[in-house]
Amino acid sequence: MTQQSKSDPVIALRGIHKSYDDLMVLRGVDIRAHEGDVISLIGSSGSGKSTLLRCINMLEICQQGDIQFCGEAVRWSGDGPGRMPADQAQVVRMRTQLSMVFQSFNLWAHMTVLKNVIEAPVTVLKRERGEAIDEAMALLEKVGIADKAHIYPAQLSGGQQQRAAIARALAMRPKAMLFDEPTSALDPELEQEVVKVIRQLAGEGRTMILVTHDMKLARDVSNHVVFLNQGVIEEEGSPETVFGNPKTERLQKFLHASVAA
Amino acid sequence: MGVSCADPSLLEGLAWLSCYLMTGKHMAFYLSFLTVLILLAITAPVAIIFGLLGAVGSRARLLPVRLLGRGYISVVRGVPDIVFFLFVPIALDQGFEYLRHRIMCPEVLEPVRQGNDFVVCTIAKLPLNSDPQWLHEIYGFALAVLSFAIVFGAFAGNTFRGAFEAVPRNQLETAEAYGMSRLQVFWRVLLPQMWIYALPGLSNLWMILIKVTPLLFLLGVEDIVYWARELGSAKTSAFSFPHPDWRLWYFLVLLLFYLGLTKISEIVFARLMARYNMGQATLGGSRQLGQVGR
Ligand SMILES: Nc1ncnc2c1ncn2[C@@H]1O[C@H](COP(=O)(O)OP(=O)(O)OP(=O)(O)O)[C@@H](O)[C@H]1O
Ligand SMILES: [Mg+2]
Repeated sequence: MTQQSKSDPVIALRGIHKSYDDLMVLRGVDIRAHEGDVISLIGSSGSGKSTLLRCINMLEICQQGDIQFCGEAVRWSGDGPGRMPADQAQVVRMRTQLSMVFQSFNLWAHMTVLKNVIEAPVTVLKRERGEAIDEAMALLEKVGIADKAHIYPAQLSGGQQQRAAIARALAMRPKAMLFDEPTSALDPELEQEVVKVIRQLAGEGRTMILVTHDMKLARDVSNHVVFLNQGVIEEEGSPETVFGNPKTERLQKFLHASVAA
Repeated sequence: MGVSCADPSLLEGLAWLSCYLMTGKHMAFYLSFLTVLILLAITAPVAIIFGLLGAVGSRARLLPVRLLGRGYISVVRGVPDIVFFLFVPIALDQGFEYLRHRIMCPEVLEPVRQGNDFVVCTIAKLPLNSDPQWLHEIYGFALAVLSFAIVFGAFAGNTFRGAFEAVPRNQLETAEAYGMSRLQVFWRVLLPQMWIYALPGLSNLWMILIKVTPLLFLLGVEDIVYWARELGSAKTSAFSFPHPDWRLWYFLVLLLFYLGLTKISEIVFARLMARYNMGQATLGGSRQLGQVGR
């Protein structure tokens, strides 16, 4: 383990391999996200984008490769298919600093919006409840749904649910945020309210990895774009080069199809 | 009331009836309604705890625990209830006495089973022969409650097992992603969300439980059915309150009692469902919000 220094990336992935039985989904992916980076992950359906995000916060266990978080490497026990994180406390610590926003929102259905937001800060981070509530209300204000604090998720529109989920993610005061197609389940007009929040977060200098099908969003908010194809990084670079001057034929085809869609 | 019930043969009409309804045996009859209610009030929560233990056990990682949980649920479910109601109290009673015998009278070396008899030393008896009658009754009642709870716990366990499986995976996974331990995921998300799927099954079980309470008499507890038959049957003039066969009326009272009980239960379960449906993206939940077909 190395001491964290200013130059350590918040997230550093090296040689990530992941397969389900004999289906190889990720075959050696490297990504580094420094503080303030917004990295967009693009790629066709099934290319392994969600799997990669889930490997980062260890909802899935990659069989090969290293994950470093703020200079601290995940410790493993075992090898290959049987590999597991060696230190559960380390996993929990990393997860609490890495908030995930899901395509299907995944707000806890039995809790009001406010309870959803304070749940992990109070039960996992052991923050004081009153403070957690104050902070949660401020965050709900920020994403524009403070008036929905005492309502259950099922009573909200999709866009409101996703904004509540983003407030929940922010309440962890995370070092980095993972977004898995946060707008794909939304109607175009609801999509915009969520896009607005994501733009705002990117503008604040938050470290984020964003899986998205929205090329305009990727181009606008990210400083680095990664094109994933069949489990490997086919091409990557600044949004200007990736979108303005795609080199590989696959990326050209993919972008062409995305524009047409 | 001003009338004396000392000589019922002098009484007539309402006075006779009110004296008749106040006899000691009638008091025992009224008390037996309470017995049924107490049985229900204790059995239900204990059965829920047994059921939860069985369901959690049957999903445990540890193989022996899993086998124990699964075994409990499937063995008990696979045996006719009545057989179980008869078997469990005897088994428990002899089990307890055997243990006490081994601990309290280690000097007695003869086997406990002697021919057809089950013999333990006097001080290992449960309850002790010297104990008052009410203690014997409580002990018998406790054994009855335990057998009801074991049987209904197994059925509840099966319901809970299904309900645990019905909670959407993403709800649990999200909790994990936010750093909750397995225990926290269980208490904070799985358990509270499970009820909505378990309630319909539990409400059925509760109704069945209400309806099998008359099996208490099988276990030697003098319950309402016993007393209704006893008090309702025709009494000759040898009795202080002679009357023809009134069993029809007594059983009618039982009928109304059980109907009232099940009706109240329905209302309570409807309320519970409404509470747990709150905010669920189910048909029940959206009906509550007036959003069906929005
Ligand atoms: N739990 C799983 N078991 C088996 N195979 C899986 C599992 N999860 C994902 N896969 C497979 O892994 C591949 C990559 O899936 P993944 O969800 O990462 O794709 P994606 O790039 O996120 O696609 P999309 O854009 O549709 O969300 C797919 O072929 C999928 O079928
Ligand atoms: Mg995906």
